[in-house]
Amino acid sequence: MAANKTGLIFFPAFDWAISPTHPEREERLLYTRDQIFEEGLMDLPEIEEYKPRLATAKDIARVHFCVPDVEAQITEAHLIAAGSVLTLADALEKKDIRNGFALVRPPGHHSMTVVHGNRGFCNINNMAILVEYLRTRYGHKRLAIVDTDVHHGDGTQDIFWHDPDVLYISFHQDGRTLYPGSGFTNETGGPRALGRTLNIPLPPGTTDEGIHFVLDNFILPVLKEFKPDLVLNSAGQDNHYTDPLANMRFSAQGYAKLSEKLAPDIAVLEGGYAIETALPYVNTGIIQAMAGLDYSHVMEPDFVPGRFTQSPDMVREIESTVQELQEIWDNRDLLVENALAEHGEFYRRRKRVFYDTDMINESQEESVRLCDDCAGYTTIESKAQRGYGMLNNVFCISIPRHACKSCKADARALFEEHKEDHRFDFVYMQDKSSDKYRGYNVRTRNEKNY
Amino acid sequence: MLIGIDVGGTTTDAVLIEGDRVVRTSYVPTDHDNLLSCLLGALDKLVEGTDPKKIERVVLSTTLITNMIAEGKTDPVALMLIPGPGANPKDYHLGLDPIVLDGAVDYRGREIQKLNENQIKLASTSVASKGIQKVAVVGKFGQRNHAQEIQAKEIISKIAPGLKVEMGHQVSGQLNFPRRAATTMLTIATKDHYRQFVEQMTKALTQRKILSPVYILKADGGTLPLDKSVQMPVETIFSGPAASIMGVMALTEPGKTSVVVDIGGTTTDLALILDGKPLLSSKGAKVESLLTHVRAFAVKSVAIGGDSAVNLANDCIAVGPGRMGPALCMGGPGPTPTDAMRVLGLSTIGDASLAEKAMADLGNKIGKTSHEAAQMVIDSVVEKIVSEVDQMFLEWEQEPAYRVWEIMKKETLSAQNVVGVGGAAPPLVPLVAKKLGARAVVPEYAPVANAIGAAVARPTMTLNLRIDTEQGKYYVAEDGLSGKVSGKKMDLEQAEEMARKLLVERSERLGIGEYAKEAVVTHSEIFNMIRGWSTVGRLLDVRMEIPAGILPSWGRGC
Repeated sequence: MAANKTGLIFFPAFDWAISPTHPEREERLLYTRDQIFEEGLMDLPEIEEYKPRLATAKDIARVHFCVPDVEAQITEAHLIAAGSVLTLADALEKKDIRNGFALVRPPGHHSMTVVHGNRGFCNINNMAILVEYLRTRYGHKRLAIVDTDVHHGDGTQDIFWHDPDVLYISFHQDGRTLYPGSGFTNETGGPRALGRTLNIPLPPGTTDEGIHFVLDNFILPVLKEFKPDLVLNSAGQDNHYTDPLANMRFSAQGYAKLSEKLAPDIAVLEGGYAIETALPYVNTGIIQAMAGLDYSHVMEPDFVPGRFTQSPDMVREIESTVQELQEIWDNRDLLVENALAEHGEFYRRRKRVFYDTDMINESQEESVRLCDDCAGYTTIESKAQRGYGMLNNVFCISIPRHACKSCKADARALFEEHKEDHRFDFVYMQDKSSDKYRGYNVRTRNEKNY
Repeated sequence: MLIGIDVGGTTTDAVLIEGDRVVRTSYVPTDHDNLLSCLLGALDKLVEGTDPKKIERVVLSTTLITNMIAEGKTDPVALMLIPGPGANPKDYHLGLDPIVLDGAVDYRGREIQKLNENQIKLASTSVASKGIQKVAVVGKFGQRNHAQEIQAKEIISKIAPGLKVEMGHQVSGQLNFPRRAATTMLTIATKDHYRQFVEQMTKALTQRKILSPVYILKADGGTLPLDKSVQMPVETIFSGPAASIMGVMALTEPGKTSVVVDIGGTTTDLALILDGKPLLSSKGAKVESLLTHVRAFAVKSVAIGGDSAVNLANDCIAVGPGRMGPALCMGGPGPTPTDAMRVLGLSTIGDASLAEKAMADLGNKIGKTSHEAAQMVIDSVVEKIVSEVDQMFLEWEQEPAYRVWEIMKKETLSAQNVVGVGGAAPPLVPLVAKKLGARAVVPEYAPVANAIGAAVARPTMTLNLRIDTEQGKYYVAEDGLSGKVSGKKMDLEQAEEMARKLLVERSERLGIGEYAKEAVVTHSEIFNMIRGWSTVGRLLDVRMEIPAGILPSWGRGC
């Protein structure tokens, strides 16, 4: 098959919901189905529809420390959504398709490295699972993720925070006005990867014009310089002017044009909850743009071009944000050099994470070895509490791909040592150098291997 | 007594059935330019000496519409689309430039843009001035709100009363606008010719004092009363393969998973019967280059058969896809699988010495004996068929699904039987079956399986009901019926009950009421519509079908 098709997986999970009235419910992609089926998009020679396979627990363990284990954090729907992304990755690598769109739910970009529960409608991070799969299975090195959801993709940011080979760019509504309250310009990555996380907070009310300004003047040039093997898109659709959970003014035309310019190799649906007024039109536009079809006829019934304009203040704010980020990007190597000089052998950070869906508070202490010979192993001590009750206290160790001998030995020694440490309920070892994943229950002394 | 007549590519076959016995068969060569006379020719030979009063039922399967479309003999049609927002209508592959009208309806059947009366008037005048007499009017989501299609038709009829108008919502109610447009175009383009055929046929039968009900076979293996079928001529395409598959259903053990292999001169048609149910193509038939909504069995045509040309490519034997002429042993120009079968003693057709020569010549070029060459030819044919069968099962397993449970059930099936029909089937089917690890079955009446299939097929029908309780409306996809419902909290059971009632009514309108009790629910879904934090209504979809099946009087098979 010639690689000129767009692979599409439509998995609306019509029998899965977080709860009956939750935005992430059965009905979410119903009208989108009606629209894309009625358009006959799946019949077009430019589009090939795929059936998703299931992701494995190992695919998930390659990214996440799921507490107490992978099985406890997921449902079958999660395995299918993550599996959809991997199915498209295989088709892309086999050159059966030239690009692919996983129009699937549940979403994933708020899921961080450690998973105690659901936050921001997400349990596992489909995008991160894709990235680690592409690296392990197909040997890709440099990958870029562009997150176009209205919410900051704090989960994806967390997972690749220390990774200089994964460029994470997110534009979103300013965190002072929207969940999850992060994604400011000063969040730029760990000491080794400064400038490889780039956050573009935008003022509420930003229109197509504002987002395309950011795209043309910052995101596209940065991607060109970074030269990733593949460009991946966390394609949330909640920047739309009718989205009930956010306050932006992006249109279906704006989204379609964005997909055309960004030309992602794989796009994955994240959020977007204007299920009648936006999703049918935005999804049609994105599919058409990715497949090289004419999307100029896609328009919301109440939209007229020029309906939304930005105030001069807003325009100035966006321009100055871009300018600030440009400086960070231009100076990224210097920033890394300075940071490495400043820190000793280990870099540590503490953070708190709130799981809004499951009402869990987590506190973490993360430590990365700033090794001269490899990316260095990481440890995370994580304590989760729900209300006044302790949930779990866990210790996680991650060995990077191509880890040096000494990092491997030290990390493995830490794992053995912590297995005897009764302050913890679970101890995890994520060994990406051998693609082996272990979870140890300190109380029962049972070990689970993936 | 039952009569089945199938118009095939080369012969028109007919059978006379009494109870579960085939009492007589007949055939005449098919004359593609006069199908009516072949049908009647085969019929007259069949019923000679039979009291016409004893005939209870006649079923025809004809290639009339298929040929008409293939030969481009359909009536010219103007296509008026009301596409609203979405794809550029030029990206639909409809084979002509549509007239694009203003107006739009959304996915829930709400009008979002009004029609432009003037524009329709101008378009109608222009169509009429070009001498075109048929118009298809199709609106996106027109099946969920027919008002604009009806309004457009009224305007057209007022301006140009001579124009015949077919509306999309009356042809199909399934989602897929371009397929609905194509099916509507084909319907209006073939309707008059088809009506003529039906009238002539009815007259001819009356002259022969055959007054029993007459049915036509559809692409989904079901029958439809001849007089009702004039509304949906396109449903009769591909009734040939459907007849063969129904014949296999009638002639083999029920409930099994079988591959139907119909090996002809240049093509082999493959079809699947899964757990006793013939597999339908998932979205609808492809008619020439047009994708339609016509329910049809999933039949795969592979360009290989008894007369396929055998060639050498880099010392490898390649069979097909072309045909040079008949087999060498039948006086043709070059080696074919038929010659190979003759050499291997798998068949007794044709001149043995010519077949030997064909294979010896072929063998010489690659340093093999004639016997070895023949074996290679047959292996190549069998391998091709087997790989296509494997592919069909794989494609069936890979059909997309949209619910968690559908993905999780992970069904896999493999063939239990390989059933052969068609001329070259008897020698080849055992070889195909062996490779697939299945049992080879060549039924007793294999050469007339198609006519038997037509004779004993029962009616089929589908009904799709959609209910939107927030808007208090229901729609029946198949015949453009809509109405009001009350109460926001209808449940699936109530919806299924309503669907059953509507199905009974529709089956009576179509003259197949006695089969309504065979209807089963094949799909149903319910969605709560939440706005804010409360339920404002429900969307319910129910699909009911009278599936393809065999008349109970036919004791064998089903």
